[in-house]
Amino acid sequence: MFAEIPESLHHDVAAYALGVLDPEDIQGFELHLASCERCKIELDEFGELPGLLDEVKSASQRVRP
Amino acid sequence: MWLVRRQLDTRFERLDPDDDPDRDDRLIRELYQEFGGPLLRQVRQTTGNDLQWAEDVVQETLLRAWRNAAKLTWERGLLWAWLLTVSRRIVIDGRRRRSVRPREVEPPEADSIAVPDAADRTLAAIVVADALRGLSPDHREVIEQTYLRDRTVSEAAEILGIPPGTVKSRLYYAMRALRGVLKERGVAS
Repeated sequence: MFAEIPESLHHDVAAYALGVLDPEDIQGFELHLASCERCKIELDEFGELPGLLDEVKSASQRVRP
Repeated sequence: MWLVRRQLDTRFERLDPDDDPDRDDRLIRELYQEFGGPLLRQVRQTTGNDLQWAEDVVQETLLRAWRNAAKLTWERGLLWAWLLTVSRRIVIDGRRRRSVRPREVEPPEADSIAVPDAADRTLAAIVVADALRGLSPDHREVIEQTYLRDRTVSEAAEILGIPPGTVKSRLYYAMRALRGVLKERGVAS
């Protein structure tokens, strides 16, 4: 029996890449990540977005302390 | 910076498997050399330029990387993504410990994505702010309510009044859309 991995589990990669996944979900996702090529590729692809979003964030923090 | 990272990766792949007794020393030294500076610059943006705190976060992050060396995938880009994720987590946890008052729900703002000041306009900031504005309202909102406001998925879910699973899926499609736009405009690879 091969259970189909629910599509929603792959979606956690975005929250994980941004560091906003809830602590209790992190381990479960990392277990999935270890064997999921798709999520590894997407984690890599999302990797530079936090840094880019920080450009906007630090600008908005300066405007609204 | 990202390009530099990609060039370094081959070296880290070679660090992984052997039983070299000096491996631990070498690994942590290499981690500091290669990632210490860039990571500090990233972390400082989230600690409000509190340098001491940022340095502590970088140290803790690299220590965790070292402790997890055996099970981390030292692949191109993944290590950097991992370090960013872990350092963000440490900053958020630290901020929680520091805040005396429980967090309050902030009043909704029409637009919390500020237009960068003329003085510190960087091309990336302008392009990213513009790309965010071009996303669908749902996508923009979910990025704002999580990453840009330092909230976890479940915190954002509560504020938005939608299930955490929906936040995660929305965030996923939002990030894909954002990356697509940024790639098109040449600021993401």
